[in-house]
Amino acid sequence: MNFSSSTFGKLLTGRGSRQGLWLLPFAIALAMALWLAVTTSQFGQWSNLANLVAQGMPLLITAVGQMFVVLVGGLDLSIGSVVSFTTAILALDLPGYVTIPGVFLFAGLIGATNGYCITRLNVHPIVATLSMQYVVLGITRVLRPVSGGTVPEGVRWLVEGSLFGLPLPILWGIATLLVAWKLLYGSRYGLHLFAIGGGVAACSDDAARNFGIPASRNILLAYVICSLFAALAGVFLAGRIVSGDPNVGLLMELDAITAVAIGGTQLSGGVGSLHGTVIGVVVLALLSNGMNLLNVTPFVQTAVKGILLMAVVALQSRKKIGL
Amino acid sequence: MSALVNSTLFRRVSKVPPSYYLLVVLLVILFVARPQMLNANVLGVFVRQVVPLGILVLGQLLVMRVKSIDLSGGGVILLINYCISSGIFPGASLGFYVVLALATGLVIGLFNGVMVAKRRVSAVIVTLALSIVLIGFVQYLSSGKPPGDVPKIFAELFNTRFAGLPSPVVFWIALTALMALLLSQTVFGRFVTAVGESMPAAHFSGVPVERTVILAHTLAGLMAAIAALVQTASIAVGSVRVGLDLPILSVAATILGGVVFGRGEGGVWGPFFGVLCFAFLFVVMTMFGVGDAGKLVAQGLIILFAAIFYGLRADK
Repeated sequence: MNFSSSTFGKLLTGRGSRQGLWLLPFAIALAMALWLAVTTSQFGQWSNLANLVAQGMPLLITAVGQMFVVLVGGLDLSIGSVVSFTTAILALDLPGYVTIPGVFLFAGLIGATNGYCITRLNVHPIVATLSMQYVVLGITRVLRPVSGGTVPEGVRWLVEGSLFGLPLPILWGIATLLVAWKLLYGSRYGLHLFAIGGGVAACSDDAARNFGIPASRNILLAYVICSLFAALAGVFLAGRIVSGDPNVGLLMELDAITAVAIGGTQLSGGVGSLHGTVIGVVVLALLSNGMNLLNVTPFVQTAVKGILLMAVVALQSRKKIGL
Repeated sequence: MSALVNSTLFRRVSKVPPSYYLLVVLLVILFVARPQMLNANVLGVFVRQVVPLGILVLGQLLVMRVKSIDLSGGGVILLINYCISSGIFPGASLGFYVVLALATGLVIGLFNGVMVAKRRVSAVIVTLALSIVLIGFVQYLSSGKPPGDVPKIFAELFNTRFAGLPSPVVFWIALTALMALLLSQTVFGRFVTAVGESMPAAHFSGVPVERTVILAHTLAGLMAAIAALVQTASIAVGSVRVGLDLPILSVAATILGGVVFGRGEGGVWGPFFGVLCFAFLFVVMTMFGVGDAGKLVAQGLIILFAAIFYGLRADK
């Protein structure tokens, strides 16, 4: 009788579950929040909590997008560049009604290109999105070599303002989660994503197609969704930093992947959940917020993030060896 | 599109890794624009710069052929650079540093291999996470400041020449030849090919899949350690930023050289020329006044086209 086949072990390691391992990270998040609330006086203050939400929001939005791609066994490394690109476009001297739709159009195109290369031209997701990361970052640096410019006033209000007494960042989070929930659990599309991913994870790529699910089209759409969420995160960040910055999205894709992985979504595809991703984001946000409160240097924060990621991923179990 | 892909001409053309074509194109451009640069001395200097990348690629192609990936090279290079330049081992000899570096690489590679093959963790995540941990650790130890100087002997060794060529370049070529022999002449080399073709098939034919993957990762760690030594010798100072983009570039050069996940048509020399392409690409682009931004775009497009080139040919 080994640990992971007992009922408790199953729940803890997420073995055999479609939702993956999310209970353990949930416990970690809870423990971290409690510990911070007890040891530091600032943590529970309203201003710190509002700051926590606003700081974690770009991560939440990108991680939710990344989850769609990870569920079909892919990976999108280009989202950091898309975020930077978005802030650069918004900081151009153009009215918001031109730039905001334009940003989402471009992001959709980037996602579609990723998806097309992966599904039709048979390029490995890591390779396709990595090269897209370079291309988009290059274009961003042409548009805006150093940070500067100003973002339209409306975008700023969308991030800093409040509605019915609620700070707007919270509404961004709710809207993101509602859209993602509808796509994932409230539509046929979400079901198809899980089916395709399950096939990919079991090393039989055409399992879903044999059941009549158009795999290529759905995978392509997942990359478009991921890019669109990245653009949304970019708009949010642009509102926060009030300028365009070619480096603001640097390494953001890694944080997003970390959050998704901590939340129990398996990188081989087919297993994962929206609430898991939210928990992953909360863990990462609490980690950086808590360490800031405790005056830990950012370098240690980096190392701890890496160890956490490794520990959580090592607890997941899967069949596939390799990527 | 499929008619074009299936034509005899395309099949014949696509047998050769893209790196060979690109290298020829780059050399022709250099020849037309700056013929005076095409002599052994100038080229030697350029090629010497990419030797760390070239050595890292030798490990990368090994793990990519068993459908894995190693992104921990950046962390390994940083850690070894810190050990050598911070003076935490006062009075240590060159031999000590070499053994220390190789041992570090071996342990890290073994850890990666066991995590990937036994624990079945995603290789992207585990190697990336390890790199993040190592980078954070080194930056914490050095408080984010460059640690110090590298013993003089490293730079002296790096600047020597052997048979008219810079010795790092000779060393790289020798190491590449060794790797080519390892893959073509040994049982391990065949296991690598078999595992890359199909893991279930290899498993049922009695190939020790897990052990092959572990060994591939261990060798990759070793290569990263050697690359770290050469990189440290080349910059001759301690740094907390050195080599961070090398893992990604090594993946790019490997793909350009015709080795994609699980498929190794390019052998060992394809990626070798892929690395040379990157050396000359940056020279050519600097020559034409292309800025950093343009270089990023070109780099991305080249990787993408190389991958499409292979993807189109692969049978679905």
